[in-house]
Amino acid sequence: MSDTKLSVVRKSIRPQAGDSWATIADRELPKLKTEDGVSSLQSWNLHVYMRAPAPEGSPRAGNPILPSDVIFIEPPMAAA
Amino acid sequence: MYDLIIRNGTVVDGSGLPGYQADVAVRGNRIAKIGKIAETADKEVDASGKVVAPGFIDPHTHFDAQLLWDGAAKPALSHGVTTIVPGNCSLSLAPLKADHRMRLVGMFNQIEEMPYKAFREGVVWDWETFSEYITRIRKGLAINVAPLVGHSVIRLWVMNDAATERTATDAEIAEMQDVLRECLDAGAAGLSTSYVDMDETLQPVPSRYADAREVDALAAVLGEYGRMLQIVPEFYDPDLTIARLDQLAEMSIKYQIPTTFSPLFVNSDNVAAVDKVMNRVDEQFARGARVWPQVQTRPIDISFSFAVPSLLFIRYPNWYRIMRFGTPEEIKAHFADPENRKARAAEVADAKELWPRLVLRQVKTDANQKYVGKTLAGIAAERGVTPVEAMIDISVEEDLEAHFLAADMGHNNDDKVVSLLKHPRVHIGASDGGAHILSFSTYGDTGYLFAHFVRDLKTMRLEDAVKKITSDTASIWGIPERGLLQPGYIADIAVFDPQTVDRGVEKFVQDVPGDGSRYVRDSHGVDTVIVSGGIAWSAKGGYQEARGAVLPGETSRQPELVAAE
Repeated sequence: MSDTKLSVVRKSIRPQAGDSWATIADRELPKLKTEDGVSSLQSWNLHVYMRAPAPEGSPRAGNPILPSDVIFIEPPMAAA
Repeated sequence: MYDLIIRNGTVVDGSGLPGYQADVAVRGNRIAKIGKIAETADKEVDASGKVVAPGFIDPHTHFDAQLLWDGAAKPALSHGVTTIVPGNCSLSLAPLKADHRMRLVGMFNQIEEMPYKAFREGVVWDWETFSEYITRIRKGLAINVAPLVGHSVIRLWVMNDAATERTATDAEIAEMQDVLRECLDAGAAGLSTSYVDMDETLQPVPSRYADAREVDALAAVLGEYGRMLQIVPEFYDPDLTIARLDQLAEMSIKYQIPTTFSPLFVNSDNVAAVDKVMNRVDEQFARGARVWPQVQTRPIDISFSFAVPSLLFIRYPNWYRIMRFGTPEEIKAHFADPENRKARAAEVADAKELWPRLVLRQVKTDANQKYVGKTLAGIAAERGVTPVEAMIDISVEEDLEAHFLAADMGHNNDDKVVSLLKHPRVHIGASDGGAHILSFSTYGDTGYLFAHFVRDLKTMRLEDAVKKITSDTASIWGIPERGLLQPGYIADIAVFDPQTVDRGVEKFVQDVPGDGSRYVRDSHGVDTVIVSGGIAWSAKGGYQEARGAVLPGETSRQPELVAAE
């Protein structure tokens, strides 16, 4: 049963320890310059990019990415 | 001789098979016989013209706090609901160290709108472990409870403040596994986690700091017990929902556990989105996974006043901030200031189609009674202002006690919603019973199902509707001996009139400890509700016997045991 083939869906990853936009961009979008990769990731992941900032002094300050996040590494797929 | 006989009803037994005329006899806490019954009983219920069905099971509730002062989860029981699943969305009230109580109260206040004062005046904090919490709620329990344990709470128990700062170490994950085992041994029906909820400081709840290996490790423990994993995905986005359901599917297959995600809404502006999610659900079921989407029956209505931070304003930061963190005096002063009034009106200008159709439901002053029942469009025209300005002005005039209704905000495409409700891989649920108490009533979804989709629209068979909220739910959750009417099964039974069953009009009542209020709906057309063989509620007698059990571990509470307590 588990051999049933799944259709292709939008590609995503789960963050690794210490990940930031830049580390994800360098790892997942190696053909792009870091800043271009970061820009693309942020535009594809508004659910993370638009998140309310962590309070000052928080270990998360300056990095909105949570360990549980889904991070898309490609734009939305065109409707079938 | 039986203890209870329900005579002359139409038995709709939860299997989906056609209803039939028969009597139902109960001895002790179990169904003893179904058919023509010549013997007599201590108690008899005349069900002529009525349906006799298994008690309904509500799989997504937040009655955790209410159960501390109300063992019937009112008014859920009166709607025919005999089993509730609290502890969803990563939040339960146990296990909970004394040092963490106020943090959790803050989360319940933010996410479920349960007032701080209700916890202060309605709760004696005499538990820490899950087992102690179960002991605490068991006294006076009139409804069955299948409680989930919340991932955020387990994280807080093990990691303290670090629960909202970082991922867990291997040792901490191992400790979380042990805590989860203790909770499951004590009666938890599974684990819940959340990918969207925020605490009272608008920061992510602890479960959102967990990495994939932590959730996987906890799912492995669920696999040891075959228990449920419930999640709240980013339900506003189909791609995110699919990513989450794929994660669930992997764990479901790997550990052979049932999983469920809630809610799944129909967005009338993008009906294709729900099809996209359901296609994925179908594919994952075909692989052997169990990933049950929960779909609610009712459309989205939001009631609100300026006195509380309504969900309606959550996407308008300045509105939400002042309502969430301002005192009543500060809120009044803010909106009474002409500059703020202008700025706040501009902030919500994008929803220009929403504000005119809001209805003023309730005010305190005589001067504004003439507007009650009218839309903001109509009131604005009479006052010579915009609808948003009318809403602000009346709220200030009423000391923030003007109540508005935003009806039919979504999930109101009947054709699409009923196609989901009937879908074999959809789980009817997501009522949120006991939550969002200051935004809308979360009671009566079952009445709405029967009244709207079965009786009025005739788009669903009565037998199918009953099956979806009884035996299907019991099977999905692994609740034994419930969900069907058949001899030997536990006698959890709802007797209702199919011609009149419905949910009542939403009303604002003050019945929360600490003079707190909430929106509720009474039941219509429900005659008698039986839990473990005892009449728990009837239209004539109100709330009666308290024989609720903690499921799935505790099959039933014997009447003698309840009497001894």
